[in-house]
Amino acid sequence: MKQFRMSYPTSVEQTLRVLAATPPAGDVRVIAGGQDLLGEMKDHLAEPDHLVNLARVEALRGLRWAASGELEIGAMTTLAAIAGDAGVRASLPLLAEAVESVATPQIRQQGTIGGNLCQRPRCWYYRHEKAPCFKKGGSECFAFTGMSKYNAILGGGPSYIVHPSDVAPALVASDATLTLRGPGDGAAAVRTLPVQEFFTLPFEADVTKENVLRPGEIVTAIGVPDRRGWRGTYLEVRERQSFDFALAAVALALRMEGERIAAARLVLGGVAPVPWRCAAAEALLAGRRVDDETCRLAGEEALRGAAPLDHNAYKVPMTKGLITKALRQLARLE
Amino acid sequence: MSRSPDSKPPRGAGVTRRTFLVGAGVAAGGALGAAPATGLASTRAKQAAEDDLLRLDGPFVVSFRLNGKEVRLPAEPRTTLLSLLRHAADPPLTGTKEGCDRGSCGACTVLLDGQPVYACLTLAGNLFGCEVTTVEGLGTPEELSTVQEAFWKHDALMCGFCTPGFVVAVTACLNENPAAGAEEIRSACAGNICRCGTYPQIVAAALAAGARMQEGRR
Amino acid sequence: MSERASERARGAEALTWGDPAARTFAGQDSPRVDGPLKVTGRARYTHDVRLPGMLYGAILPCPYPKARPALDLAPARALAGVVAAIELDESRDGGWTTYLGQPIAAVAAKTPELAADAIRAIGVEYELGDWCADRAQALAEGAEPVSSSGNAFVEDAQGDRAAVEAALAACDAVVEATYTMPVQVHACMETHGAVVDYRGGDEAIVYASTQGTNSVPGPAARALGLAAGKVTAIVEHMGGGFGSKLRFGVAGLAACRLAREAGAPVHLMLDRSDEFLCTGNRSGSHQVLKGGATADGKLQALLSTVQNLGGIGRGSHPGHPFIYEPAVSFHQPGYVLTHTDAAVPMRAPGHPQASFAIESMMDELANALRLDPLEFRKQNVSSEVYRRQLDRAAREIGWAEHPNRRGPPAPSVRPEKAVGIGFGLARWGGGGRPGARVTVRIASDGSVTASAGSQDLGTGTRTYLAGIVAEELGLPLAAVEARLGDSRYGPAGASGGSTTTPSLAPAVKDAARRARDAFFAHLAPILGTRAERLRARDGAILAAEDGAKRLGWREACATLAAGEIAVTGEFQAELADSGTHGAQAAKVEVDTLTGEVRVLKMVAVQDCGLAVNTLAARSQIQGGMIGALSYGLLEERVIDPWLGLAMNASFVDYKVAGIKDVAELVAILDDDPRERVIGIGEPPAIPGHAAIANAIFNACGARVRDLPLTPDKVLTALAALG
Repeated sequence: MKQFRMSYPTSVEQTLRVLAATPPAGDVRVIAGGQDLLGEMKDHLAEPDHLVNLARVEALRGLRWAASGELEIGAMTTLAAIAGDAGVRASLPLLAEAVESVATPQIRQQGTIGGNLCQRPRCWYYRHEKAPCFKKGGSECFAFTGMSKYNAILGGGPSYIVHPSDVAPALVASDATLTLRGPGDGAAAVRTLPVQEFFTLPFEADVTKENVLRPGEIVTAIGVPDRRGWRGTYLEVRERQSFDFALAAVALALRMEGERIAAARLVLGGVAPVPWRCAAAEALLAGRRVDDETCRLAGEEALRGAAPLDHNAYKVPMTKGLITKALRQLARLE
Repeated sequence: MSRSPDSKPPRGAGVTRRTFLVGAGVAAGGALGAAPATGLASTRAKQAAEDDLLRLDGPFVVSFRLNGKEVRLPAEPRTTLLSLLRHAADPPLTGTKEGCDRGSCGACTVLLDGQPVYACLTLAGNLFGCEVTTVEGLGTPEELSTVQEAFWKHDALMCGFCTPGFVVAVTACLNENPAAGAEEIRSACAGNICRCGTYPQIVAAALAAGARMQEGRR
Repeated sequence: MSERASERARGAEALTWGDPAARTFAGQDSPRVDGPLKVTGRARYTHDVRLPGMLYGAILPCPYPKARPALDLAPARALAGVVAAIELDESRDGGWTTYLGQPIAAVAAKTPELAADAIRAIGVEYELGDWCADRAQALAEGAEPVSSSGNAFVEDAQGDRAAVEAALAACDAVVEATYTMPVQVHACMETHGAVVDYRGGDEAIVYASTQGTNSVPGPAARALGLAAGKVTAIVEHMGGGFGSKLRFGVAGLAACRLAREAGAPVHLMLDRSDEFLCTGNRSGSHQVLKGGATADGKLQALLSTVQNLGGIGRGSHPGHPFIYEPAVSFHQPGYVLTHTDAAVPMRAPGHPQASFAIESMMDELANALRLDPLEFRKQNVSSEVYRRQLDRAAREIGWAEHPNRRGPPAPSVRPEKAVGIGFGLARWGGGGRPGARVTVRIASDGSVTASAGSQDLGTGTRTYLAGIVAEELGLPLAAVEARLGDSRYGPAGASGGSTTTPSLAPAVKDAARRARDAFFAHLAPILGTRAERLRARDGAILAAEDGAKRLGWREACATLAAGEIAVTGEFQAELADSGTHGAQAAKVEVDTLTGEVRVLKMVAVQDCGLAVNTLAARSQIQGGMIGALSYGLLEERVIDPWLGLAMNASFVDYKVAGIKDVAELVAILDDDPRERVIGIGEPPAIPGHAAIANAIFNACGARVRDLPLTPDKVLTALAALG
């Protein structure tokens, strides 16, 4: 790891001031739990001169339940704290399952939810210093013609990374929002947006980034609305059960009316550069019973437009299989 | 036990604190030397103040509790807890192993305020006021901890290089819940790798240790 | 007392492992003597050695399969705290590297962080060569030759091809298939490396993470420019080898060169990423098999063509038909070279590769004939041991109750979660050999030490070194101190091929018996009896005819006032044997919607003669099973052939089985009448992945012929079934 300087602000305001005052912007990075960033720095994928460490910003830690049933999660809340929260386990099983499936116990102990959403891709090529891919400011996606087993089948191009977060699809399927704080005062400095809108496709925006976070801006909180009346699950396929990133994942939330689906949220992970919301499949599911035909149609609709590369066509049937499993599982719940 | 900074006033003596002058850039501000320790509870009360900004611009001394003793160890901003233990501590605490230095093998697992973390993904600067327990702090060859003794008796070690990490991970799990079943133990050890393949013995050892710990609590 | 005296005292009594009922150690469960050190972090590995004035070394590996690097070491040398920076070019050819990951420079600095800084500071320009990073590139027309004789090599064939072709034509079922296995790496938890304690002068001590304590001094002395015999090797504890640490290796040699350059001790342990690329591997394999059987279940003919993929090495393969016995067979061995590191031995070299191909073929033939694959196997081995072991494994795994004994269900009736069972067999020679010397000392203060220049890889060597001596002297295990991992303790072979225990344990027994006999000879006149009437039991020496003629151990030792008993033992062929069998069964559940495979249970029935420590032996068997499971389901070293870059040189991306990947394991030490010691490191690692592949097929009909057996391949195979 290269030498760097590090500041530990104690408030959000101080953090933003430090970020604004630390030139040049390209060489300063915010570090939360550091469970991804430190690895990137050790592998020389990120070599900031200055880290702004959020470890002492107490205001960013913790879960706050509103009387109305909404949950606000500070961006610096550890994944272990979320997974261990009785309220989350009881009323947000979808989120609890997704958080539990992140990495390892040790990483969940220090890794934060904000950091999880901001983690960088796991693509082999991105993670190899000597492969100058789009994500590293290069002019090629080596996976496009190369070893694409773990890459995107949806939303790819020009880069074909998949977003590695397990938590993000669960949050999107929970209609969660994200609050960002940037430099300046007043309303302009605060942005609250649906989690889905936080993430950007490679061709939509800066290909070297995965989200809309601006320089000098930080994620401060995640808001999860009251999900009473919804049931949800997070399922994924991984090669190694002990510790792995998902080959494909499904975050599914259903609101049932009797045996029929009243509303659905279906979000895919591990198959696209962003958590992939399947709006058409959600619409199709509304009003239907969960039966083999529904499962088949939902899978078809969700994977419509999938464009596999040389080595990842398997993700299409695998994701369909996960959708079927998730639908059947939720339909069985009372 | 959750990690609550409220209960952990940073013991910052010896750390270089600097006044951060807004807009003046990183080079501004002079060293204040050993500023008095400031509890995080009071820190929160004056969040707007700038003189509580901890800045690590170069070599510093980090103070924390290590296996029950206050220590002050030399570090750089980039120094990891793993390097601190294995190289800066005197004598070096080499029970915590370096297997990958990327948070993917678990050989460096230690307890940070009672919870299992990868020492290789923990920065020294984060340790002020914290309590770190390594495998050496759990027991000695003459006085094994319950978990250590169970590992030994169940042959939950072969080459032994990964063993300290597993011992710490299992200890953390059983401290939380001595009644942990095989699945819970497996989950608690999912961030550790044993290449010799002692996993079944580790589960057996952990179950046995948990049973003994439960007896002890009754 | 001299060895001659003990020789005299020994008389005509044959050396055996003794009456099982009277044994206190051999054949029983003993927790390891070094367990307390290891579970408390006090065991000192090479990585943990700290010496005054020690520098930390690091290497720069070439990231490409073939390149000519131009190095500028000046920026590294200019960094404060950097003491040495050297180019490593001795094994390059005209400046060209020959394999991906080949170390091209090394540095030594005052801290590990500074050493890493120095590596980064080295200026390098790589002139890229044409390379062959995989089999396809190596076999392509106009491929860059990896060796001066080309890339594809065909070795001497065995068998009569025409006879096989004729026999195949008469078979009721013929299966031809290609089975492929990727390169696997050892991934030892402690990386390769050494600490070289050299401060100028003419002597050095080298601490090394090695499987061969005595393999270190020679090459280390050469690299340090010292006389042979002036280097001592120390290996107190070592963090796994699996075959990759038989030689001193690139890291150790680089450490020696740095220490010589700096005139100071150097600690050089490889980074994890380097470890994946330059420390050897299990060769990949490309095997084309054509087998034929008749409807009566007789394997009639087998045609096999094998290419080992061992980088710049030949790789290994034991040859087909491996275990099974067709009436006729023809085997064509060979290998294909690539610009990757040379394959080295890895836990049963070549055997897991052979096992995957032949066990898959056997299963495919059984299925083609709608035969029970268990019975088909039993019918085509000659050894009764295999049949007994297969039956035992089948019983433990629940074969008789299993519905798919005649093959997987048709796709139309296949359950979403399909359960299957598969089998595989193991075979290993191993055995003991002369060379090791073991010294036992009995001191007048009652202390007993047993020392050998061998090493404990995690197999429990230290424990039986103490235990066999304790048993012979009638002492508790803790009363004997075992010392090993020091070249000054005398010659001992490197630990490879399951040879350590059958080589060393007999020498331990011999030394212990000689020590006992010498002690008896000394005590006989004191106790007023004849030496052959003495017994050592329960911490005392007593006369067989008269229990009153008795000395407690300390009392007895106190009579050695003049000195100690020190005797040396050697290999005794009658205490060791070679040749093991082994049968394994795996039960899996395949999620046919997602292709996921969960191994529910594995059973191993393993013979090994007399297990010196049954607890450690069962651990060894389970370790082998897990190794094979990991190879079968997960492991594959990946190199992008066009970029020439290693894609997964980390524990995140090179996937080694963790605790949640392993379910119930049953390790059964087979009843083996041989009262002789046989090694057990290799055989349990041979057939597990093949059994899993067969279980996947048995569950759902998905035949995957390419390791690892990942969900994508299972789904693809299922899709092909319709």
